[in-house]
Amino acid sequence: MSAPAADATAWRALRRHGVLLAAWGALVAVFALTATHFLSAATLQTLVGRTPGLLVVAAGMTAVILGGGIDLAVGSVAALAAGVLGIALVDWHWPVAAAVPLAIAVGAVAGLAAGMMTVGLRVPAFLATLGMLEICRGAAYLVTGSRTKYLGGALEPLARPLPALGLPPTILIAAVAVVAVHVLITRTVFGRHLRAVGGNPRAARYAGIDVGRVRITVHVLSGALAGLAAVLATARIGSADPNAGTGLELAAIAAVVIGGTSLAGGAGSCAGSVLGVAVIATLEAGLAHLGASEPIKRIVTGAAIVAAVALDFLERRGREGDGEA
Amino acid sequence: MGCSSRPQEALPGKGAGGDGSRPLVALVMKSLANEFFAAMAAGAKSHQAAAPQRYDLIVNGMRNETDVAEQVGIVEQMVARRAAAIVIAPADSQALVPALARAREAGVLVVNIDNRLDADALRSAGLTVPFVGPDNRAGAKLAGAAVARRLQPGDEVAIVEGIVTADNARQRSLGLADAARDARLVVVDTQSGQWEMEKADGIAAAMLAAHPRLRAILCANDSMALGAAAAIAAAGRREVLVSGFDAIPAVRPLLDDGRLVATVDQHGDRLAVEGIETALAILSGAAAPEDRTTAIDLVTGPDDGAAP
Repeated sequence: MSAPAADATAWRALRRHGVLLAAWGALVAVFALTATHFLSAATLQTLVGRTPGLLVVAAGMTAVILGGGIDLAVGSVAALAAGVLGIALVDWHWPVAAAVPLAIAVGAVAGLAAGMMTVGLRVPAFLATLGMLEICRGAAYLVTGSRTKYLGGALEPLARPLPALGLPPTILIAAVAVVAVHVLITRTVFGRHLRAVGGNPRAARYAGIDVGRVRITVHVLSGALAGLAAVLATARIGSADPNAGTGLELAAIAAVVIGGTSLAGGAGSCAGSVLGVAVIATLEAGLAHLGASEPIKRIVTGAAIVAAVALDFLERRGREGDGEA
Repeated sequence: MGCSSRPQEALPGKGAGGDGSRPLVALVMKSLANEFFAAMAAGAKSHQAAAPQRYDLIVNGMRNETDVAEQVGIVEQMVARRAAAIVIAPADSQALVPALARAREAGVLVVNIDNRLDADALRSAGLTVPFVGPDNRAGAKLAGAAVARRLQPGDEVAIVEGIVTADNARQRSLGLADAARDARLVVVDTQSGQWEMEKADGIAAAMLAAHPRLRAILCANDSMALGAAAAIAAAGRREVLVSGFDAIPAVRPLLDDGRLVATVDQHGDRLAVEGIETALAILSGAAAPEDRTTAIDLVTGPDDGAAP
C-alpha cells in the first residue's frame, strides 16, 4: 500500500471513529438528561466491571470478521470454558494459575475444531461455528451437570478494583488483550494475510498465502479469547452458569459492525469495535437505569444497531460520491 | 428456573410402549438441561426404577424452553405411543391447551405439573386438568417477606423478574410485590433479568446506581440472585439485601454468609413424582382428578432467627 493510500485509510478510519464517538457522546447525554444518577461513578464502575468479557470477545470477533469469517460459537464456548474453570477450581482443587490457562485452552481447542471444520471439510464458517455453538453448549451442560457452580473467592481479586488505579485487573487484562489483537491485525505479517484472505481469498491464495492456516489460526484466537472472557466474567460473578453467554455472539457481532468493520471481510479495526462495545454497554446500562421494559429494551437496541450500520453505509456511499473511495 | 437453548433427551423407560399390564406414563418436561427439570426427571426415573412393576415411564424434554411447537409435537407423539397418562410441565400456559384437549379426546389422562395451564384457555376448550404443583405466588411471598422483616416501612426495594410469558414468572412477580405491599415497602423498579445471572447483574447494577436509597433486590430465581449479589458486591452496597427462589446448591454459601437472605425450595425432584402418583391414583380410580398444591419451604441463612 502506498503512503498516500495509507494516509487516506487512516483519515477515513479517524473520521469514522469520530462519528461513532459523537454518537456515543450523544447516547451518554440522552441518558444523563433522562436518568438521574446515570452520570455517576457507580455507573462508570459498572461499565468497567461488566464489559471486559464482551471487549475481548469483540476483539476476537473483529479478527475473524476481518478474515471474511464469523464466529457464532463464542457464547457457548465461554459457557463451556467457565464450567471447566469451575470444575478445575472447586472439584479438582487446581490453583488459579493452572485453572485459568486450562479455561483459555478449552476455548482455543473449540476454536481449533471450528477452524478445522471450515478448512478441512470446507464447511462455511457460519455453519461450522453454528455447529460448535450447539456442541459447546451441550458440553457445558454435560460438564456442569446442568448446575450453576459456586466458585467462592478464588477469582475475586481479579474483579476487585486496584487501590492505586480504581480499576479492576479484569479491565486491564482486557485492554492488554485488545491492544495485542490490534497489533496482530495491523502490524504483523499475519494481519496482512488476514486482511488479504478476508478481502479476496482467491487472490490471497494466488499470492501464496496459506489461506487455510490463516483461517484456523484466527478461529483458535477467537476461541481462546472466548475462554479468557469466561475467566473475566466469572471473576465478577463468582459462579459459573452453564446458561451464561447466550446471545454473547450477537452482542459481539453488533459491537464489531457498529464499530465499522465490514461483514464482507477485509476492512475494519479493533478501535472501532471497542467503541461499538461502549455503545452497546452504554445502551444496556442506560435502558436499565430508566427501568425500561424488556420489549422496549429489545426494540431500542435493535434500532440502534440498524441505525449505526445505516449511518456507516450512508457515509461510505457519500464518500464514493465524492470520488474519494 | 431456566432460560434458553438446550439439548433434547428422549429416554424410553424399560418396556415402554406398554404391554397392556402396566400403564405407560409419559412425562413431558421443559428443558432437561435446566437443573430444576433435570432433578425433576431424575426423581421420576428413580421412582419408576424402585417399583418397575407399577408403571412404565418415558421422559421427554425440549431443546428450547420456549419452543412451544416442539412440545406440542412431543404431546402428539405420546398420544400416538398410546400413553395412558401424560404428566406435563407446559412451556406455555395457553398454547399447549389444544394439543392436550386432543390427547384427552384420544382417551389419555392429562396431569399438569409445575407451570399452571391458563384457566380461561382450559374453559374455552371445555377441559378440566388436575394441577399438581407449588403455589409460586405464595412461595415468592415467603422469600420476599423474609427480606421485609429486616426492613422498615417506606424502605425502597426493586424486583428482578423472570421471563413473564410463563405463568410461574408472573406468579412470582406478584408474590414478591405482595410481600413488599404487606410490609409497606416501596417498589421503585421492576425489570426482567430473563432468568439469567449475567443479565441480572447488569440490571441490578443499574438499579443500585439509579436508586441510592435501595435496600433490597427481590429476585424471581436463584441464578438472578447470584447476579444481583455480584452487582451489590461490586458496588460496595452491603446494606442491600437479596432474595431468590429455587434453592439451588450454588446459593448455599451466600445464604451462609448473609449475601442472600432467603430463597424457597419447591422440591422440584418430588414434583414430577407427585404428578405421576396423582396420575396413577386417578387411573386406578383411587382418586378424583383434583388439584394438589405441593409443599414449598423457606430456606434462610444460619443467623436468621426470625425464620420459621
